[in-house]
Amino acid sequence: MSTKLLGRPMLYTSYESEMALLNTGTKKAGLGLLLAVGVGLPFLVSDPQLRTLALALITAVGVIGLGLVTGYAGQVSLGHAFFLGVGACTAAALGGDPDSDLIGFGVTEVLIWLPAAGLVAAVAGALVAPLAVRLRGLYLAIVTLGLVFVGGYVFNEWTELTGGQGVGRNMPQPTLFGYELGVSDEFFTKEQKLYWLMLVVLVVFAFAARNLVRSRVGRAFSAIRDRDIAAGIMGVNLFRYKMVAFAVSSFYAGCCGALLFVADGRFEPNTSFNLDTSIKFIAMLLIGGVGTISGAILGAFFIIYLPVLTGYLPDLIPGLSTNAAQTPNTHQVELVLYGALLIIFLIFEPRGLFGIWLRLRNYWKAWPFSY
Amino acid sequence: MRISSRRIAAASAAAILVVGLAGCRGGGGGGTDEQGIRTDVGVTSEPCPDAIDETKGCIYLGTLSDLTVGPFKPLAVPITESQAAFWKRVNEAGGIAGYEVDVTTYVKDNQYNPGVTTQVYNEIKPNILGLIQTLGSEPTNAILADLKSSNILAVPAAWSSTFAFEDIILESGANYCVEAMNAIDWALEQKPDIDSVTAVGYPGDYGDDAAGGVKYSAEQNDLTFKHIATGPGGGDVQGAVVSQLITEKPDLVILTTGPTEAATIVTLVALQGASAGYAPMFIGNSPTWNPAILASPAAGAMTAMYHQAGPWGPWGSDTPGHEAMREALGTPATLNDGYTAGWVWSYPMKAALEKAAANKDLTRKGLVDAAKSLTSVDYEGMLPSEAGNYAAGAAGQFKQTLISKPDANAPTGVTTVEDFFTGPTAEGFTLTKACHETL
Repeated sequence: MSTKLLGRPMLYTSYESEMALLNTGTKKAGLGLLLAVGVGLPFLVSDPQLRTLALALITAVGVIGLGLVTGYAGQVSLGHAFFLGVGACTAAALGGDPDSDLIGFGVTEVLIWLPAAGLVAAVAGALVAPLAVRLRGLYLAIVTLGLVFVGGYVFNEWTELTGGQGVGRNMPQPTLFGYELGVSDEFFTKEQKLYWLMLVVLVVFAFAARNLVRSRVGRAFSAIRDRDIAAGIMGVNLFRYKMVAFAVSSFYAGCCGALLFVADGRFEPNTSFNLDTSIKFIAMLLIGGVGTISGAILGAFFIIYLPVLTGYLPDLIPGLSTNAAQTPNTHQVELVLYGALLIIFLIFEPRGLFGIWLRLRNYWKAWPFSY
Repeated sequence: MRISSRRIAAASAAAILVVGLAGCRGGGGGGTDEQGIRTDVGVTSEPCPDAIDETKGCIYLGTLSDLTVGPFKPLAVPITESQAAFWKRVNEAGGIAGYEVDVTTYVKDNQYNPGVTTQVYNEIKPNILGLIQTLGSEPTNAILADLKSSNILAVPAAWSSTFAFEDIILESGANYCVEAMNAIDWALEQKPDIDSVTAVGYPGDYGDDAAGGVKYSAEQNDLTFKHIATGPGGGDVQGAVVSQLITEKPDLVILTTGPTEAATIVTLVALQGASAGYAPMFIGNSPTWNPAILASPAAGAMTAMYHQAGPWGPWGSDTPGHEAMREALGTPATLNDGYTAGWVWSYPMKAALEKAAANKDLTRKGLVDAAKSLTSVDYEGMLPSEAGNYAAGAAGQFKQTLISKPDANAPTGVTTVEDFFTGPTAEGFTLTKACHETL
């Protein structure tokens, strides 16, 4: 219906059109353009750049997952790295070489090991959920923190699964219906194919998340976040929805973990799934914007591109080195920026990059009568 | 409303990225220069960023080292600095066939972590001809398959026997496996009543490679063999190792860890074992020593109980190569034998580059072929030139080791007590597969 009311985009004549996934023309055009650029990018940019882009795309899936449980359902989780690890290990075990010393089943079909990694992580998430029903706020954060350490111990010691501390194991190279995505062929390079894989996964997961949060489940999440007691009184089944939140979030984390190390080829359990990783994901969510899907994507891109951006600094700042053996170097600047940005965003722009975008948009929407 | 803004936010972010990237696909360089030398990746006709002679082209070599948070940082930073000095000296002496060599532009931190190594390796891979340093056995193993498929020649800052089987790896000095055998033979000479030996090391190729040598040696010499794997960390992590040692009381312990772990274990065994009447002999593989230990509470125990097995003489040794190194580096603020190692490791790469240039083929493939065909390398006396016989493959591995002991008066805290030797066990040993596989 709204399409008939050209020129009056703010007017909706039904709830259905107001709640539509793409409820304005600008939005449809914007998304179409974005997807076109996204799909076409591998023909424009070089392989190393595609590698970074692919990493950002798949990281965004994990951040969206964290956003669902922390941003939408309000359950602070420091345990995201554990679920990433569960996903990565499941994928590595399923896709691993059966003849090696490590656990491997030789299933390289990505359509099998990717959902499987998500499902195993989701089960792990569902097992944690009963704790979330009993606890909230800081207490829940501490319990999920424990998860990272317990999980970290298992990852380090279970060498048949993870390769062990300091060693790690290789990730399987995905195949899609027998077509190898992890090796270059005469048509496309490995980087191009993996980029498209990550892009498709992100688009599917982002739409699924967007649909979830505008549904009954999503409204229940928001109700629990805003006041769980009130939500319970209104008839929201706290146990069920907290469990759904953790399971779905962990599913996202599992799938992210399964693909996160595919491009570089190897993970090391002690440093890949520790508290630093959890905090990095929380930082992405906070910097991008809590409680939004596109904010999560922006945050992931921002943090992944931080080292790339600091790489340009030596041209601007004399005396700054890209050589990690010299001081000051870009690596140090990156660490400082990472901390400083977190503080700056929390104090000055709690809505994150998404909030900055909102302000920009509102300014131009009212232009030339902006204030 | 809300939905739209999100989509557009994402769209504009992507648009900004596209503009920001401004890269374009395709086009590796390469071709043939005016001297008729073929080149492909990592060799440019433009001068190096810090060129001494602006008319020369540039050969870029990458470094993946443990520069910030890993257990080998105290050794890795000096290795990297020393290599920069080595190649500066080469460039000042005229470079290699009309090119200067740059080893400082592509220096990346691998954090002694295989996962991080693959990531930073991929970042510099499109810009380098070879790797002048890839630190650590396991980190190097993580990129080994890709090095092979891309024909990238790499100098490992590690001594694993795995490398003997790889054409693209240009290793120097005896491997950990043989070093452990020589260490045990030397120990048996000092104390013939030794009848048990325990290998304590990092999990993975570094610790396991030495442990494989210890196991072989134990079999040959009728010793009881035990193996304990332990990760990086101080007393909290090493406590379990210490109590196992004190319970099992091996006469000899071969350490294959970082310096911190070695010092922690030796000190704790000295403290806690005294009451149990237990004082074993400790010998560490070369990466277990850092002279900073002498300024730590571990100094007493280490001086009393520890020896270092090493592949070449320490900083103060009297050879033309050591002399040149001391002259080039002056007096570094914190001196250790990372400087010596970085310097020694550079010689075979120099020889390979010279040979490749003489073959008129400075492509990646050409460099690997040149390296593989080397039958000797001029180490300026730091190692015998036959140590650079890469054409001989695994069977022709160099097997000589030195034993040193802590000495507060020596520049890097150790003096040699036994010069280059090959023990009887190593003498009778033929490397047929990587030692960690025999464990």
